[in-house]
Amino acid sequence: MELFFQQFTNGLTVGSIYALIALGYTMVYGVLKLINFAHGDLFTIGAYLGLTLLTCFSLAGYLGVFAGIFLLTVMVFCLVGIIGVILERTAYKPLRSSPRLSAVVSALGASIFFQNAVMLIYGARVRVYPQNILPSFALDIYGVHLPVVRVMIFAVSIALMAALYFFIQRTKTGVAIRAAAIDQGAAKLMGINVNKTISIVFLIGPALGGVAGLMVGLYYGQVNFTMGWSYGLKAFIAAILGGIGNIPGAMLGGMLLGVIEALGAAYFSVAWKDAIAFFVLIMILIFKPTGLLGERVAEKV
Amino acid sequence: MKKILLLVTVVLMACAFTISNATAKTIKIGLMCPLTGAYASEGQDMKRIVTLLAKEVNARGGIRGDKVKIILADDGSDARTSSMAAQKLTTKGIVAVIGTYGSSNTEATQNIYDESEIIQVATGSTSVRLTEKGLKYFFRTSPRDDSQGLVAFKAIEAKQVRKVAVLHDNSSYSKGLADEIVKHLRKTKIKVVFEDALTPKENDYTVILTKMKAARPDFIFFTGYFGEAGLLLKQKREMNWDVPFMGGDATNNTDLVKIAGRKAAAGFECISPLLPGDLTDRSAKQFMKNYKARYNSLPNSIWSVLAGDAFKVIVEAIKATGSTDPDKMADYMHNDLKDVPGLTGKISFNKKGDRIGDVYRVYKINSNGEFILK
Repeated sequence: MELFFQQFTNGLTVGSIYALIALGYTMVYGVLKLINFAHGDLFTIGAYLGLTLLTCFSLAGYLGVFAGIFLLTVMVFCLVGIIGVILERTAYKPLRSSPRLSAVVSALGASIFFQNAVMLIYGARVRVYPQNILPSFALDIYGVHLPVVRVMIFAVSIALMAALYFFIQRTKTGVAIRAAAIDQGAAKLMGINVNKTISIVFLIGPALGGVAGLMVGLYYGQVNFTMGWSYGLKAFIAAILGGIGNIPGAMLGGMLLGVIEALGAAYFSVAWKDAIAFFVLIMILIFKPTGLLGERVAEKV
Repeated sequence: MKKILLLVTVVLMACAFTISNATAKTIKIGLMCPLTGAYASEGQDMKRIVTLLAKEVNARGGIRGDKVKIILADDGSDARTSSMAAQKLTTKGIVAVIGTYGSSNTEATQNIYDESEIIQVATGSTSVRLTEKGLKYFFRTSPRDDSQGLVAFKAIEAKQVRKVAVLHDNSSYSKGLADEIVKHLRKTKIKVVFEDALTPKENDYTVILTKMKAARPDFIFFTGYFGEAGLLLKQKREMNWDVPFMGGDATNNTDLVKIAGRKAAAGFECISPLLPGDLTDRSAKQFMKNYKARYNSLPNSIWSVLAGDAFKVIVEAIKATGSTDPDKMADYMHNDLKDVPGLTGKISFNKKGDRIGDVYRVYKINSNGEFILK
C-alpha cells in the first residue's frame, strides 16, 4: 500500500507540471481554435530564462530562498508572457483570417525558431541549474517518502491553477475571455476588445508554461533545448484528455495523465508506461470524444 | 518530426551552397554527425575535432598535394534524418564518410553508403549487428557491445553482489548491451531481479526508481546515456537509497556530474574507453592541447575523439593506396592497414571492419566529480 501511495505522489508531481503546461494549450485553443505548437518551446524558454536570471543576479543569495524564488517566478512569468504576446502579434495575428492550416504551419515554424534560437544562444550542451538552492529535506508520512520540493511543486501548481480559475470566472477580463471563446464576432458586437483579450490569453498561457519550465529547471536541475518537445506533447495530450478548451479539464487531464503513467509503470512495465497511458487516452476518447470535461461548452475558454 | 525535417533541409541547402564554391582539386570527406537534436553536444565536438584535424592535414600540404575538404551533414540525432543526410551526402562526390553517433542512426545509413560505394567509418556506434551484415565498405573506430558486455559482466562479478537490476532505454545500443549483460549473468548465480526500460528525455525517474527499490537489488547497471544516468543518480540520492550504480560507455560524459551534482555522482562507476584527458599517446596529447587552445575546453567524451580517429584512418588509406577508389581503399583497410597511430591508440581492422583490440576500462567518479581511471 505504501508503494501505491508513493507512486501516486510521484505521479502527481509530474502531473501537476503537465497540467500547468496544458493550460496554455487549452486557453489558446479555446479562444483561437489553434494548437499553439510553440507552447512547449515557451516552456523551454521559461526554464532557460530562469537559469540566466538565477545565475546573473543570484537572487536566492540576496533575498533568501523563498523570496528569491518568488521574485524569480514573477520575473519569468512576465518575460515569457511578453514573449507569448510578441509571438501572437507576429506569427498568429496576421494569419487570423487565413485558413486554420496556415496558422498551424506558422506555429510549427515558431516552434522550430524558438528551439534553435535557444540552442544557438545557450549551446547544445545540457545546462545545469546551480545546485542546493532548494531545501532538500523530506517528509516521511506512513512510509511514503515526500521530498518537500515535490510538495511545493504540487502546491504552487494548484495555487496558480486556482488563481487562473478565479480570474476566468470572477473578473471582467475573465468574462471577456470566455465570451471571445464562445463567439468572437458576437463578443466584438458586445463591445469587447477581442484583440486585447487574445493578447491576455497569450500573456497568461505562455507565462504559466514558463513557470512550469522554471520549476522543472529548479527541481530536476538540468535543462536542454529539446526538453519542450516531450513535455509539450504530454501536456497537449493532457489537454485533450480533459477536453481541450476547458480549463478545469486541462488541470484534471494533466494530473490524471501523470498518475496513470506512474501507476502503469509501477504495476505493469516501465517500458510500457507510455503505451498504457495512451491506451487509457484512446479508451476515454472512444467513450467520450470531447474529453472528460469537454461538454461544458458554455464555460470553455 | 516535421520540424526536424525542415531544419535538416535548411542545413543541407546551406551545405550545398558551400560545396558549389569548392574547387576541383580537393578530396571531399563527409562528416555526418548530430549537430542538432538530443546528441547535439557530441556532434558539435565531432565537427570541431574533424575540422581541426583537416586543417592540420591541409597545413602540412594535404594528402599528396590535394587539399581535404570536410562536407558536413546533420543527422539530427534520429534515424530518419540520418538516412536523409546520407542520401544527400552521396550526391556530393565524397570519397568516404565519417559517422555517426548512435547505432540506430548509423544503421539507417549503412545500406545507402554501401549501395553508393562510399567508405563509411562509424564512430559512436557499438551495436554488434552493424558489422555482422558483411558490408564491404563499413568500418568503425568504436568498440562493440559484446566486448563491452563482457567487461561489464566481469566488473559486476568482481563486486560479489547477488541481486542485480539492469535498466536500459530501449534504443538498439542500450538494449543490446543490456541483453548481453543479462545473458552472461544468467549463467552465474547472480540473480537479475529487475530488467526494464525507461523513456529517455523525461526528467522524472522516481517512478522507476521506486519500483526498482521494491525489487531490492544490491547493484544497478544502467546501459543508457549520461543525461538519464545523471538524473537517476540525483533522484536516487533524494530517495535516500544508497546502492552502487554502474553505467555503460554512454555515461562517460562530464555533464553527468553536473546533472547529478557532485554528492550524488560520487562513487558512480562506468565502463568506458579511455577518456580524452587520459589519452597517453604523445600526438594525442598534443592534439588535445591544440584543441583546448582553440576551443577553450576538452571534448566532452571519447566518442567525438573517435571521429578524429576515423578521419586519420581515411587519410591514411588514401595516402597509402594513392587513390580514392573505394574498392582499393576498403581492401587496404581490411588487410594491410596496421597500427595507424590514432588519438585513442593504434588502429587496425579485422575482416568485418571492427576495430581490433580491447579498449574498455572501468572509471569511477571521485568526491570532486572527476572520472578516475581504476
